[in-house]
Amino acid sequence: MHPLHLWSIFARMRFSVSLLLSVVLGGGLLACQSDQPASSQPAAAAQLPATTHWVTDDLGHRLQLPVQPRRIMALAPSMTEMLYAVADTATIVARTQVCDFPRAVAHKPVVNSYPLDLEKLVALHPDVVFTVEGITSQDDAARLQQLGVPVYFQRYTTVEDVFRGMQQLGQLLGRTAQARHLTDSLRTALAALQKTPPTPGPAPRVLAITWQDPIYVYGQNTLFTDKIRLAGGQNALQEVFAQPYPALTREYILRLNPDVLLGGRFGQLDSTFFKAYPELRRINAYQTKRVFAVTGNLMERPGPRVVESVRELQGLLRQPAQP
Amino acid sequence: MKPARAGLWLGLSVGLLLGLLVLGLRVGSFAIDFELMRRVLHHYDPTEPAQLVLVELRLPRLLLAVLAGAGLAVSGYLMQTMVSNALADPYLLGTASGGGLGAVLCFALLPTLTWAGVYLPPVAALLGALGTTLVVLALGMDRGQLRPAPLLLSGVAVGSLATALGGLLTFLSDTPDKLRTVTFWAMGSFERAGWNLLPYPAVALVATLVVFAFLQKDVAILLLGEERAAALGVPVVRLRWLLVVTASALTGCVVALCGPIGFVGLMIPHVTRWLLGATGRWNLLVCALLGGGFLLGCDLLARLLYPPAGVPVGIVTALFGVPFFVYLLRKQGS
Repeated sequence: MHPLHLWSIFARMRFSVSLLLSVVLGGGLLACQSDQPASSQPAAAAQLPATTHWVTDDLGHRLQLPVQPRRIMALAPSMTEMLYAVADTATIVARTQVCDFPRAVAHKPVVNSYPLDLEKLVALHPDVVFTVEGITSQDDAARLQQLGVPVYFQRYTTVEDVFRGMQQLGQLLGRTAQARHLTDSLRTALAALQKTPPTPGPAPRVLAITWQDPIYVYGQNTLFTDKIRLAGGQNALQEVFAQPYPALTREYILRLNPDVLLGGRFGQLDSTFFKAYPELRRINAYQTKRVFAVTGNLMERPGPRVVESVRELQGLLRQPAQP
Repeated sequence: MKPARAGLWLGLSVGLLLGLLVLGLRVGSFAIDFELMRRVLHHYDPTEPAQLVLVELRLPRLLLAVLAGAGLAVSGYLMQTMVSNALADPYLLGTASGGGLGAVLCFALLPTLTWAGVYLPPVAALLGALGTTLVVLALGMDRGQLRPAPLLLSGVAVGSLATALGGLLTFLSDTPDKLRTVTFWAMGSFERAGWNLLPYPAVALVATLVVFAFLQKDVAILLLGEERAAALGVPVVRLRWLLVVTASALTGCVVALCGPIGFVGLMIPHVTRWLLGATGRWNLLVCALLGGGFLLGCDLLARLLYPPAGVPVGIVTALFGVPFFVYLLRKQGS
C-alpha cells in the first residue's frame, strides 16, 4: 500500500474522533467516513478527469469543474475543516498557513493565502479551490481563474447556510452520502441544544468584539447573529452596516449597553479594553461581569464545528450575572 | 494689513470655531439638544448616559480635533517659514513616518499595548516622531547650521526608510488585525480622545503661540528669504533651530495622539497668508484658529457621512487638500 494512503486513513481516523467528540456530546451521531477506493491515490489522482460540468457558486460565478475532482484545496481554514469532514482527505493537496484543524492538516503542504502564493498554488494544479466570501479577494480569485484554477466561493449568513454549504461540497465532490450523514448529525445536535430550557427573562443582548483599537464588532449581517440567536441571545448590534464587522465608537456602545460582551476574559479586558475605554465600564456587561472569552477558531470558522460554537455561546449566556 | 481687517478675520475664525463646536456637540449616537447642554452646564450628572457621553466623549473629541488642527496648521506655518518655501508641511522632517514606525514597532513587537495603565502606541509614536526628526537634523546639519536643502533631502530619505521599515514590520506581522490597526492609525482618528490626552497638545500649542508671539516679526522676515532676513539683523541660525524644534515637538504630539493627518499644515498657512498677508501680526493665531476649525469641520463631515465611527479624518482632509495642493503647484508654476 502506498504510504500516503496509509497516512490518509490515519488522518481521517483522527479527524473523525475529534468530530465525534464535538457532535456526539450534543446527542448527534457522526457517520464515519468511508475510505475511497485505490483510485484516489496520488498516481491516479494526477490523471485528468474525464468529464466536467458547469456549476454556479454562492456568488453567482459560473465555473467548469470536473465531475469528480481529484485534487482539491481550500483557502479558508473553515473550508479546510469542511473538506476534512466531507471529502476524501487524500484528495486535499494543500492547506493555508492558518489552517490548523483537524491536527492531521499539519502534514499537508502550505500555500500562503495572504499574500496569496500563486506560484505554489498553481504548481499543485488543483482541480478546484474552495473558499469563503471575504476571505479570498475577488482579485486573487480572478487571477487563479485566468491561470486555469476554478475558485468556488461559499457565503453563509445562517447556521443552516453552513449545513447547506457542506451538502453542496458533498455533491461537488461526489460524497453526497458522507455530507448528508454529517449535516444530519449536526442538525440533530443543534436540535438537542435548543431543547434545553432557556434561562428566564428576555434574550440577553450580546456584543462580540473582534478588535479593540479601533473597536470592531460582529455586525448584524454575520453568522454570529444567527449563532447567538440559536444560543438563546441576540446580537446587541441591530443596525445593519455595509461592512460585516463595523467599527463602533464608544458612544455607540454606551447606547447599545449590551448585557454580555464577548472578546476576552473579564480580568483580561479589564486591564486592557476597559482601561483604554474606562467610560465603557458603565455597560451592563461590565457591571454584571458578563464579559467572556470565546474560542477563536470556533467563533470565527463557519465549518463543521459550528454547533460546537453555538454550544459554547449557550454555555456563556447561561452564566449568571455577578454583582 | 489693516488692523480692522485682521480683527475681522480673527473674529470670524473664532465664530467659525465656536459654531462648529456647538454643531459638533449635537452629532453622534445619542441625541443631544441645547436643553441637555444647558443642564450639563448647570449641574453635570454623570449617571445620565447622554450627559456622560457629552462631557466625557464628545467634548474631548472635538477639543482634540481643534488642538490637532491648530497644532498642525501652526507647525506648517513655522516649517514653511523655516525653509522659506510655501510648499513645506509639518511632516517635512519625517515626523509622520517616524511616528508611524514607532506605532508599528509597538503593535508588532510588544506583547502588551498597555503598561502601568498607559496605552503605549501614542508614546511609541511620539518617540518615533522625535527620534526620526533628530536623525534628520543630525544628517541635515551643516557645521552647526540648518540649511533647508540638505535638511529636506535628509527628511525625504529618513522618512522613506522609516516608512519602509514600518511596512516590513507590518508585512511580517503575524495577524492581519494588526495591519488594520496600523492602517486605521495612519489615516488619522480622534476616537481615542479623552480629557487625559488633551493637556499634551494644548501645552505644546500654547507654548508655541506664546514664544512666536514675541518673535512674529522675525518669522515674517525669514519667510521673505534667508539673505534678506540676515541683512535685516534676524538671527537666522538660532531662529531656524527654534522653529524646527518647536514645530517638530508640536507635530510629534499631534501625530502620536491622532495619527499623521495630512494637508492641514499645508493648506491652512496659505489660507492665512491669503487672508491676512505674509507679514500679519495675528497670522499665527488666525492660522491656529482656522486649522482647528478646519479639522473640526472635517471630523464632523466624516461622522455625518459615515456614522457612527466616521470615515478616517485623514481621508477627508486629503479630499480637500489634494486639489488645493495642485492649485498651489500650478499657481507657483505660472
